[in-house]
Amino acid sequence: DPLSIQSSFNAGDFSMQYLTETWLPKVPEMTGGRIEITLTPNASVVPAKETPDAVAAGVIDGDFTSVNYFSGIEPAFAIMADLISGYDTPAQMLEFCKNDRGEEIQQKILDSVTDGEVKLIACGPYSRESLPARIPIRTFEDLKGKKIRAPEGLASAIFASAGASPVSIPFSEVYGALEKGIVDAADASAYVNNVATGLHDVAPYPLYPGIHSMPLMQFTMNRERWDALSAEDQKALRDWWYAAMEDLTKVVNEQDQEKAAADSKGGKIEVINWALEDRDQLREVARAEWLKFAEKSELAREALDANLAYMKKIGLLKD
Amino acid sequence: MGIEYITLLIVISLLALMAIGIPLGITTLLVSLGTAILYFGERAGFFIVSANVTEVLHKYELISVPFFVFMANILERSGIAHSLFESMAIMGGRFRGSVGVQTCVVAVVLAAMSGIMGGEIVMLGLIALPQMLRLGYDKKLAIGIICAAGALATLIPPSVVLIVYGLAAQVSITKLFAASIGPGLLLASLYIIYILVRVRLNPALAPIYDIPETGLPFVKRLPFLKGVILPAILIGAVLGVIYSGIATVTEAAAVGAVGAVVIAAIRGELSWMKMRDAMRQTVLTVGSIIWLVLGAVALIGIYNRIGGGDFLRGLLTSLDVSPIWVIVVMMLIVMVLGTFLEWIAILFITVPIFAPVVVDLGFDPIWFGVLFAMNIQIYYLSPPFGPACFFLKSVAPKEISLQDIFAAVLPFIALQALGLMLVLFFPQIALFIPTSLN
Amino acid sequence: MRHLLARYASIMDRFSVFVGHGCSMLFFACIIASALEVAMRYGFDRPTTWSTELSMTLCATAWVLAVGYVTERNRHISITMLEIVVGPRVWRFFRLVQLLAAVVAVFFLARAVWAPAMKVIARPEYSGTAMNSLQPSYLKVLLLVGCVFHLMQLVANITRWFQRTEKGTSGGH
Ligand code: NA
Ligand code: NA
Repeated sequence: DPLSIQSSFNAGDFSMQYLTETWLPKVPEMTGGRIEITLTPNASVVPAKETPDAVAAGVIDGDFTSVNYFSGIEPAFAIMADLISGYDTPAQMLEFCKNDRGEEIQQKILDSVTDGEVKLIACGPYSRESLPARIPIRTFEDLKGKKIRAPEGLASAIFASAGASPVSIPFSEVYGALEKGIVDAADASAYVNNVATGLHDVAPYPLYPGIHSMPLMQFTMNRERWDALSAEDQKALRDWWYAAMEDLTKVVNEQDQEKAAADSKGGKIEVINWALEDRDQLREVARAEWLKFAEKSELAREALDANLAYMKKIGLLKD
Repeated sequence: MGIEYITLLIVISLLALMAIGIPLGITTLLVSLGTAILYFGERAGFFIVSANVTEVLHKYELISVPFFVFMANILERSGIAHSLFESMAIMGGRFRGSVGVQTCVVAVVLAAMSGIMGGEIVMLGLIALPQMLRLGYDKKLAIGIICAAGALATLIPPSVVLIVYGLAAQVSITKLFAASIGPGLLLASLYIIYILVRVRLNPALAPIYDIPETGLPFVKRLPFLKGVILPAILIGAVLGVIYSGIATVTEAAAVGAVGAVVIAAIRGELSWMKMRDAMRQTVLTVGSIIWLVLGAVALIGIYNRIGGGDFLRGLLTSLDVSPIWVIVVMMLIVMVLGTFLEWIAILFITVPIFAPVVVDLGFDPIWFGVLFAMNIQIYYLSPPFGPACFFLKSVAPKEISLQDIFAAVLPFIALQALGLMLVLFFPQIALFIPTSLN
Repeated sequence: MRHLLARYASIMDRFSVFVGHGCSMLFFACIIASALEVAMRYGFDRPTTWSTELSMTLCATAWVLAVGYVTERNRHISITMLEIVVGPRVWRFFRLVQLLAAVVAVFFLARAVWAPAMKVIARPEYSGTAMNSLQPSYLKVLLLVGCVFHLMQLVANITRWFQRTEKGTSGGH
């Protein structure tokens, strides 16, 4: 039987389609036909935030989920999921997972909530989310007083301390809220996906590349099923995933750039790209919030320390 | 066991358990729990059910249902509904079926202020049904009008079905909204034509309201419009807060509930007793609805995990017919699933498989989204699992049984199928508005 | 024993009605909370972080806990077509089958939600939002409580069936 992996992508997401067409066929190729994967869309079997338990119970064989969904289960997930304003490129964060302490920490957090029944195979982000806005937010200063939909705790705290008012409306209301001006901006998805769902029709001032968010994805498997695989197949799966994510990062970025350039030219949409000093200002504010957030649990502290150490190592942080 | 037999078994057990009078929420729970445990064993089976059932309590849009039920209860108890329909009946004069037609029009307006089906059905069920019965309308005709027209809430924007479809298929929600207006009005028109034809053929279905006022010339009847004023202000206010960006659709329902209390007070018809009874009635109605939903969603995930999706994929790839007939087959599949699954489960199972095929065949996914939403209209009414019928039952007078409701909606299902075919073969009905917007 | 069971049924009925009436206050509070959020956000430009979660939680509580009241009043929606076909005596037997089916379904649902409820009691799950409330933990436990409450009222209804003191079986209301 193919492994049933539930993802947090929407069925029609560019990334979902790309992975399905280009990368899923490579799994049997790389494992001598011993392993096949079916990737199912968000919530197709269980709600996204329940996937770790679902994997543990064997409802699904594994998940491919944005870690943000688990923020409420353990604050350390929120730190790992999206160290808002932290990294500049997905590649940096992917590297943190693959060759630094990322996987180790993420596995430790998963173990603490699922009794070791979930095996983390790999983790990493693939895109920078854009921030669709209905009025121009050109600088850090412009954030003041803006109503921004940001459901996650860390994002809310950072927007609030930058002077914005976080609004916590549910996702199904986001579209209407942007259209009618209930909120000024809302966290959404990669630029290419926002183009597809027509978000820019109602929010024509997208901030891209976004100022805040680079969500981490995890790739896990039920521990028992994982242990039943040969070491060779285990390695192949991990290699496959990182290769897929590196390629996806590249392709989504190209798609995003292409669409953003086309939109800029079209004249109806103004793509806003923050200057470096504005980004730095936000990172300052954000950093204080990361530290506050890390107080929430020991694991969160550990997760943040590992991230900070890595950021210093690669020169993202000075002190 | 093949998925086709499991499907058959699920439908047959649902029908059998329902037939012996087991409450519908319990029926769906039994079938889902049974399927889950037999298929996955206890631990995984229990988990898949509990995870999906718990998620219902997180569904924010659902909280507008109690708001609508309360609003309608207040309007009904304070006599506002009575005067509204009295005015409508008098304004309609001696024109046979006028109140039925007006109810359809009211339903379209209400659909513009509600994004989910349940809210509008219970509202019309509480307000319009007793009034139409009072005016001598045929029970079946009145029920059919309310279920069918009330379901338009998710075809005429805003619509949670279209939003979820847009996210799943990654197509523009603006365009989906624009494209669904035409088909929404088309269905409403079909209902109106049907009413007019039926009452013409059989005048007993809608007796002429025989009071002296209805015989007055039109100008003399105008003063009777006053019963319409307050409800019109209320609806205008709710639409106003939605379309001016003051409140979300769900919040607007709460604003409407507060508004209903205010206008009842203005009319001097508000009392503590009425408020209390309205609240208690709301609890009973919503309490019976939520167990229906809890039972129904337990099947989400299960059907998908046991290979429903693969089954459909296999079905489609084995087809050797011209593209438009592939779409027809897809629509038939959605209709079949619509007899026993929750709409969100139908969407999760079919859209990931259908949407790419639709695009490959060279069709517009927006048009397909509208077809899907129209099909969901059929799903709402079609037995055995017909949520619109259940919602109406939760507020209908006692003597109206669920089987009456099922019988009453059958002709309207035929009308919905007709509307679906029209849009299927004349895509311009849907695509006209989004194309002209570009 | 008979007397004891009769007392249980009547106490349970009263308790369910009491809780049901209490739920109506929760809906009212939910309406107020939602309307207030509109006023705060639009009127004062100060959106709250708590309104959405609070409204949801109040509403969910009322939804779930109304179950006793709904069961006591026999207001669960069902098809009663066979009542006319089979006649009152057979139908009375069907009534018992319906009650027992409900017991089985709700018992297994309770078992299904048991593990998640115990898990969040041992290790609370938060909403992860700005408000970071205990809502997810609360809702999981609430559902278990709702199931138990439902079962308790079903036992009362079954008692009434055996003692032939059933309340109007309002045609599948
Ligand atoms: Na609507
Ligand atoms: Na149906």
